[in-house]
Amino acid sequence: MVDRTVKIGGAAGQGVQTVAEILSVILRRSGYYVFSLEDYQSRIRGGHTFTQIRFANQPVHAAKKSIDLLVCLDSLTHELHHSEVAPQGFILGHVSPQESSASLGRLIAIDFEKEAVNLGDRIFANTVAIGALSRLLGLAPQRVEDYLAQVFSKKGQEVIEKNIAAFRRGAELVGENKLFGEETIDPPENPPRFLLDGNQALGLGALLAGCTFYSAYPMTPSTGIMNSLASKAKEYGILVEQAEDEIAAINMALGASYAGARAMTGTSGGGFCLMVEGLGLAAMTETPIVIVNGQRPGPSTGLPTRTSQADLHFVIHASHDEFPRFVFAPRDPQDAINLVIRAFSLAEQYQVPVIVLSDQYLADSKVAYQDVVVTEPVKRPLPVDGQEEYCRYALTPSGVSPRAIPGGKALVVVDSDEHDECGHLTEDLTIRVRMHEKRMKKWEAMKRETRLPFTMVGRDVNLIGWGSTWGVLWETRKELARKGIEAGIIHFNELWPLPQGLRDILRSLVSPIVVEHNYTGQLAELLEQETGVELGERITRYDGRPFLIEELCARVEEVWGRG
Amino acid sequence: MDNPFDLSSDIAWCPGCGNFAILKALKSTLSELNYEPHEVVLVSGIGQAAKIPHYLRVNVFNGLHGRSIPVAFAVKSANPRLVVIAESGDGCMYGEGGNHFVHAIRRNPDITVIVHNNQVYGLTKGQASPTSEEGFVSKVQTLGSLSAPFNPLSIAIAQDASFVARGFAGDIEKLKEILKQAITWPGFALVDVLQPCVTFNRVNTYTWYRERAYYLDVQYDPEDRVKAFEKSLEWGEKIPLGIFYRHRKPTYQEKFYALVSYPHLLYRERAVEEVLDRELQYFQ
Repeated sequence: MVDRTVKIGGAAGQGVQTVAEILSVILRRSGYYVFSLEDYQSRIRGGHTFTQIRFANQPVHAAKKSIDLLVCLDSLTHELHHSEVAPQGFILGHVSPQESSASLGRLIAIDFEKEAVNLGDRIFANTVAIGALSRLLGLAPQRVEDYLAQVFSKKGQEVIEKNIAAFRRGAELVGENKLFGEETIDPPENPPRFLLDGNQALGLGALLAGCTFYSAYPMTPSTGIMNSLASKAKEYGILVEQAEDEIAAINMALGASYAGARAMTGTSGGGFCLMVEGLGLAAMTETPIVIVNGQRPGPSTGLPTRTSQADLHFVIHASHDEFPRFVFAPRDPQDAINLVIRAFSLAEQYQVPVIVLSDQYLADSKVAYQDVVVTEPVKRPLPVDGQEEYCRYALTPSGVSPRAIPGGKALVVVDSDEHDECGHLTEDLTIRVRMHEKRMKKWEAMKRETRLPFTMVGRDVNLIGWGSTWGVLWETRKELARKGIEAGIIHFNELWPLPQGLRDILRSLVSPIVVEHNYTGQLAELLEQETGVELGERITRYDGRPFLIEELCARVEEVWGRG
Repeated sequence: MDNPFDLSSDIAWCPGCGNFAILKALKSTLSELNYEPHEVVLVSGIGQAAKIPHYLRVNVFNGLHGRSIPVAFAVKSANPRLVVIAESGDGCMYGEGGNHFVHAIRRNPDITVIVHNNQVYGLTKGQASPTSEEGFVSKVQTLGSLSAPFNPLSIAIAQDASFVARGFAGDIEKLKEILKQAITWPGFALVDVLQPCVTFNRVNTYTWYRERAYYLDVQYDPEDRVKAFEKSLEWGEKIPLGIFYRHRKPTYQEKFYALVSYPHLLYRERAVEEVLDRELQYFQ
């Protein structure tokens, strides 16, 4: 079985992401499943950034700690990461003078830039690196050359040729070295066909759902959603507006939704703070909206480019007073597509805000799939064709009023103040009570709407998690099984309202451990509060980096061993 | 003749408030322009002025304090057939919503922004507003306001707003004329309406305005931006009213809809399988 990890590091602006992206696509096209992890700093040039690509001949869902091939686009990468390289692994590229003797892996020192300069321009340095690492990985040169020709096709024949020369030079420098030795590489029976990250998936889900309006203020790690939809603006007639701030962004989305568009906005925690006033407006006016919050560590500006799962309590309780809302957290890109579609459907069905919690780990990680399956139907209740006597907030048994949009015969009156059935401002407290009850009434049906967690009960220990950690729980479970520990997984992608029937599931679990990217164990607290079942152990990580398989496995073993 | 925009409601304004005149002018304007209530969307924020949409028959989005302009921009963008007006007071539009005001001008959406400018906060009971004169004394500004007033017209002209005008609540007929031009103007149209607050502003009264206000005459060229800016600085002994500046340029909606082959952003079903197949090729 092939299961290897390549780490490519360098300074921001050096092209780490470009090399990683090209490599990921080539690996995918060579029949490998890929999982890539991006780690970067909040700067445009300099510093240190890396991408870690795990590839295997079966689906992979998380990153490993141990590296088989370290590609150093600068010497700092060598200094920082050489100790992570497995014995029999390789270190390729720029060598740090201080650390060269201490490395475990085999060293192939190449000055990519010097080689590129010899070929005419230092701009080809990254292609030299691709040549070297492709040879080490034993990738078919023709396939790589074809892809390079495709990547540089817009830049003309000369650029293509020079890149191919650089690629060949890189390969030559590696000589007969091979990462795999005599190990044979069997392409999987069902090779992957697609490679996409969380932000691309969230954008694709919105596109499929019929989204026609997206307003946002750029903020890592959610900007990719805006890029994704903006690239489709012309073709599908989507208005993507870069608002002056997040307050404008959410108010625009609500205006568009009121007028009849399917509208979405996206941000990160700090931007969500600014949107909270608008979240309440969505609730009070009962205007459907989908809001993506790509979490990063904070509070305040925090760590802009790192990952976190610490906004769960915040988004569940954000805004003053009480109102119903849905909170979802996709487990991976494939799930993100479906959950966004579902978010749009439910936002309109119940006329409530739906919050989708992403994070930097989900947003930037690329996952390879054999098939991308859309299981969620695109449901859209048509606006009613109201008559002149139409009242936007007509009382109904379900609390959901028939929704018309302006432009027809009906006058559509919505108000952020407490209002009567026709939407006009009122201070009649009897009406206030009736309207508040009408809005809250939706909650009962919404509670029956949310789906139970992915549940696979384990004999020895049970890992509970939510959102983007699904993949690492899944792989950790497999790893634990190899060590004779049977672990279960209870994983939530629909978090609020909490699904019905949890108490019985939670009560039956042997050694539950809640795994989260935050300090307090927010899901654990929520489950304990809502079900009364004490969950005990937590494994948390809040340094801004995601759980890696070996690390999580060791921590589960440690907790389990204590028990 | 009955005005189709009339609505009988319990109006929460003080007797003698300038808001009544603005409401009357707006209803007559819409009716005289032959619009039907269902074609018009009135977006407002919070404050006494922002209650206006509840007192006439139109579509209403009475949103948050300061946030009417982003909503109005989006309503017009989603359905360009609607006539979209954002209306609120000076505190809402120029204070809480100042950032949106400035950036909406850059977008040039085809909306009309009507600001009831009474130079004071009414609903919160008499504090200084962004347009209060320096030295304005209130329960909060006990030493007199220490800040210079916001000049909405100068800012709009400096930003090359498409249509910039000032009206006076004490002259309904002239206000109607200005509103008619503003509402039918393609692009961002600002109408700042001087409106005495009979309860909290004892300085800028009807008499105070009548003694100073005059209309720009036919000789005045509203196409000249520099002159318009100069005119917008005039305040004190003489206060000009009328259309200060006009610059016809493509609206946001004209630009957007020229680039996409769809007439609006309303209900649009996409064939999921087909779109998925087409889009997945980018992820191979």
